[in-house]
Amino acid sequence: MLHQLKQAFTNPKFLVGFVLFMLMLLISLIYPLLSAFEPLDMVTTGFTAPGTYVSIADVANSDGIGMNVDASAGRLASVLKDEDREKMKDWMVRFGGVAEGDIDLSDTEALLEKWQATYDPAVPQKGLRNADKQAFVRLDKDIKAATNSDGLILAAKGEDGLEEVKTIAGNTYVRTGDVVSKIVMPLGADNFGADVMTKLTSSIAVSLRIGLLAGVIATLIGLTIGLLSGFLGGWVDNFLTFLTNIFTVIPSFVILILIANAISGTARSPMLVGLIIGLTAWPWTARSVRSQVLSLRNRDHVSLSKLSGHSLPRIILQDILPYVASYVVMALILQISSGILAEAQLSMLGLGPDTTTTVTLGIMMNWAQKFSAVLGGAWWAFVPVVISVAIITFSLNLMNTGLDQVFNPQLRD
Amino acid sequence: MGKVMLEVKDLKTKYVTRFKEDVFAVDGVSLKIEEGKSLGVAGESGCGKSTLALSLIGYYFAPLHYISGEIIIDGQNISGMKPDEVRKKVLGTEVAYIPQAAMNALNPTQKIIRFIEDVIRVHDKSLSKKDIYDMAVERFRILGLPPEVLEKHAVELSGGMKQRTVIAISTILSPKVLIADEPSSALDVTSQKMVIKMMRELMEKGFIKSMIFITHELPLLYNVTDDIMVMYAGQIVERGTAKEMVFDPVHPYSKGLMGSIIVPEEGTRDVKLEAIPGTPPNLKHPPDGCRFAPRCKYAKPECKVYDVPEKDFEEHRMYRCIYDVDYLKEAYGRNG
Amino acid sequence: MKNSDEVMVLKGFIKYYGKRIIWYVITLVVAVFLNFLLPRLMPGDPVKALAIQATQGVTDPSVQQKMIEQYTREFGLDKSMPEQLVIYVGKLFQGDLGVSLGQYPRTVADILGSSVGWSLALQIPALFVGWILGNGLGAVAAYLRKGMDTVVLPIFMFISNIPAFGLAFILIYLFNVKWGIAPSGGGYAFNLIPAFTPEFIGSVLQHYQMPFWTMVLIAIGGQAIGMRSMSIYELNADYVKYSRFLGIKDGKIITYVFRNAMLPQITGLAMSFGTSIGGNLVAEMVYSYPGIGSTMFKAISTRDYPLLSGCTLMITIMVLIANLVVEVLYGVIDPRVKAAQMESE
Repeated sequence: MLHQLKQAFTNPKFLVGFVLFMLMLLISLIYPLLSAFEPLDMVTTGFTAPGTYVSIADVANSDGIGMNVDASAGRLASVLKDEDREKMKDWMVRFGGVAEGDIDLSDTEALLEKWQATYDPAVPQKGLRNADKQAFVRLDKDIKAATNSDGLILAAKGEDGLEEVKTIAGNTYVRTGDVVSKIVMPLGADNFGADVMTKLTSSIAVSLRIGLLAGVIATLIGLTIGLLSGFLGGWVDNFLTFLTNIFTVIPSFVILILIANAISGTARSPMLVGLIIGLTAWPWTARSVRSQVLSLRNRDHVSLSKLSGHSLPRIILQDILPYVASYVVMALILQISSGILAEAQLSMLGLGPDTTTTVTLGIMMNWAQKFSAVLGGAWWAFVPVVISVAIITFSLNLMNTGLDQVFNPQLRD
Repeated sequence: MGKVMLEVKDLKTKYVTRFKEDVFAVDGVSLKIEEGKSLGVAGESGCGKSTLALSLIGYYFAPLHYISGEIIIDGQNISGMKPDEVRKKVLGTEVAYIPQAAMNALNPTQKIIRFIEDVIRVHDKSLSKKDIYDMAVERFRILGLPPEVLEKHAVELSGGMKQRTVIAISTILSPKVLIADEPSSALDVTSQKMVIKMMRELMEKGFIKSMIFITHELPLLYNVTDDIMVMYAGQIVERGTAKEMVFDPVHPYSKGLMGSIIVPEEGTRDVKLEAIPGTPPNLKHPPDGCRFAPRCKYAKPECKVYDVPEKDFEEHRMYRCIYDVDYLKEAYGRNG
Repeated sequence: MKNSDEVMVLKGFIKYYGKRIIWYVITLVVAVFLNFLLPRLMPGDPVKALAIQATQGVTDPSVQQKMIEQYTREFGLDKSMPEQLVIYVGKLFQGDLGVSLGQYPRTVADILGSSVGWSLALQIPALFVGWILGNGLGAVAAYLRKGMDTVVLPIFMFISNIPAFGLAFILIYLFNVKWGIAPSGGGYAFNLIPAFTPEFIGSVLQHYQMPFWTMVLIAIGGQAIGMRSMSIYELNADYVKYSRFLGIKDGKIITYVFRNAMLPQITGLAMSFGTSIGGNLVAEMVYSYPGIGSTMFKAISTRDYPLLSGCTLMITIMVLIANLVVEVLYGVIDPRVKAAQMESE
């Protein structure tokens, strides 16, 4: 056994799979501990793009340092998108009386100069809807703010209305480290405003638990049925094989849905879902264990044990189980992987764990679907989840292939 | 003396193991076969017999590699040819091969006749399907194989039938040299007999012009081939006619090998059964001097030092031992 | 002699497949039974839950009570289990799967009838194309080794581990939201009415692309891995060596090898249909594709039990038929299997 384990770790496929899997496992265990939030904390009010957020009040109150850098160019670039430039040109040509050939969209400075000279919201703008007119007013305001090098005046409400507190020059900067109130959301926030990274890592842990439970149950059932069927033979074998074959053909997905749907709402805890998945996933394991046992049944050491009058449990435990152990481990690995996928599928259909205290990978994807994260462009709410599921199942499959190569030397190339 | 069909001069080949080690399984083999003659090659497993069979075909691919030597078939030296040329001009028509495990030699999902078409078309694209079919039926009929076999898949044939079909396919282009590697070893006795009968017929009817028959079963050689050659550790240790080799072996190894069999014919009663002690040498590092010396009960210290050359005697016979023939015969007499 | 031989083979053939068909019928019976039993065995009262939901906002408890009674009657739950089973099976034989609760008064059979076609038209071609591309990739990988083994194959293996609906998310985001070159979902444009017009068919094809390629991409990896190891196994087979020694060209031998490696992959076709159908149906739902996946999702979210039960039965039947077809197909075209089947008689 130790030797086989050593061999497994020299197999590159197994090793890569193992490292990937451990990486995911470690992240899922460690990140929630380090995170400032609970997985379900509503940190913001809805989909929030990934990044570091700093408090505006903190920044305003900081003592800035004057820099000899003109910040307006950068600001302008962010305000003046290509379509805005087109719009400005359009306005100037239609209402400002500027010739089309005089405008060069790529020359920001000249464009702005012309704009400031010609734009006047009071000019009659025939053919423009009110909303469009307002858009130009806003654009003009943005441009003014961006080009303003006089700085901003900060005021507070006083007894006589607004009282000036201080003036912030356009070239004033503050060190990000000096800003006290900061929120880091490497993967942004989801529709509930929860930090995706924290939620994702804690989901991975829950999903892995579901997968493990499902895998263990399916493997135990499959192993028992396979052992009995392969070793006892006769009508027991016929019956069990018949049963196994039937359930390999009827898609387990269907049975899973029927059972999950019948268990109403809140009774479906994550672990119960794992249990149901395990109860429906055993046939493949039973099949492969049976065929292994069949090839073992007539080996000399087993026959010897039988002749020596050893009891059935003893023969199975001592003479059969050690030989099928490697297959069982491989089957377990595959079962964990398909258990995680099954949970995700169920959750997508709304039949996953029904809970308000924990989250699974499937539930996260279900929410992304329900709250149109995809069409809303909130990629951070689903891409990391999908990739996580893929990495976990991929790593498990790699481990399985690696082990297969170790245990079946003829597969080695 | 008839026309020489196959002449091999000092052929050396090696194969490379998975761990990149060289195994010198054919180490300086020379031989000659005349038209209409057959040669048997005998030896323990691991002596290089099968490698010799593959090497004689003249077409090498990993893990087998050609080192040096010449193979001349009917006057044509094929050793200098490019692999593709060998494949096109030599395989099938000049040299044909019958593999050891004919059970799996046929593509399981292809009808026999389709495969025959593929084989024949390599060499002659002008023949129509009908021509090939007629040709195959004719050949099968002569060789005593039911023509229905042609329309079957390999999986539908029994082991013996499969082997005979393979033999018929290998010889369908009437090759000048047939190399058969243990063609009957995996079969039951009845099938074995049929295969042997078929091999003889191939020679008699002229479908093949010469044959090398490789086996570890000596009685078979005695019944099938004209000459016998004994191989040990990649080299030939003795060669003579079948009768001479079985009843009057000279080399101590041949002596031991022949002693380890019972030939169910007259005159073998006084040959004692004795096994040769020890195991054949590892061909990755063949021993110095006479390769059989470590197992030879007549060996002297110098046997293990000097390479022993092949020595001719009685005009057509050859052996490889530092003792002369009379000394050896006398020693055998003493030992009973 | 030849004729009687063929008759024997035919007899064996019919006997073998007769047995297999009977086996499939038994499996179907088990599936129908489970479809009937599972929803009824579970604790809790689905009818009550339904009634509570249907009468949400209504304060009068007697209304709720009436609802419960009505649903109980409608489902036949006032009768004993065996009686219910008899009624259920009897109706099934007439193609009667009940009436949908969520889309009342449409019948379940009607709803399924309009969605099964969509699902089949999507999943079966996707399965075939994925199978062919996967086998091609696996064969090339087995032949070329290096490069393929270390780069291309792992990429497809990774993709095949992405759940179908997850890949659907990513594709919609990229092709619709980001680049705006594909519709976000549906079977055809909203403003069209199904008809055999070029416009409608064009729209269907346009909407077909993303779900189709999602399923194809995911199918490739698994098939390729299987094909690769089968091909490597076949490349080392004795017949390859023997064919070479008879002078047959490598190109020809490769066709032997890949044919032999590919045939057993046909069973993989049926297997992958059974195992991928779940993920693919959920992907249909993500794409709002008008197939069984979306129907099933609707049934679950509106607690439409008769419709859900119809969906699960339909899916099972589809998988069973696929398995049977593949089994027969495989036996007919692979002589190795044919021989094994005849032997088992």
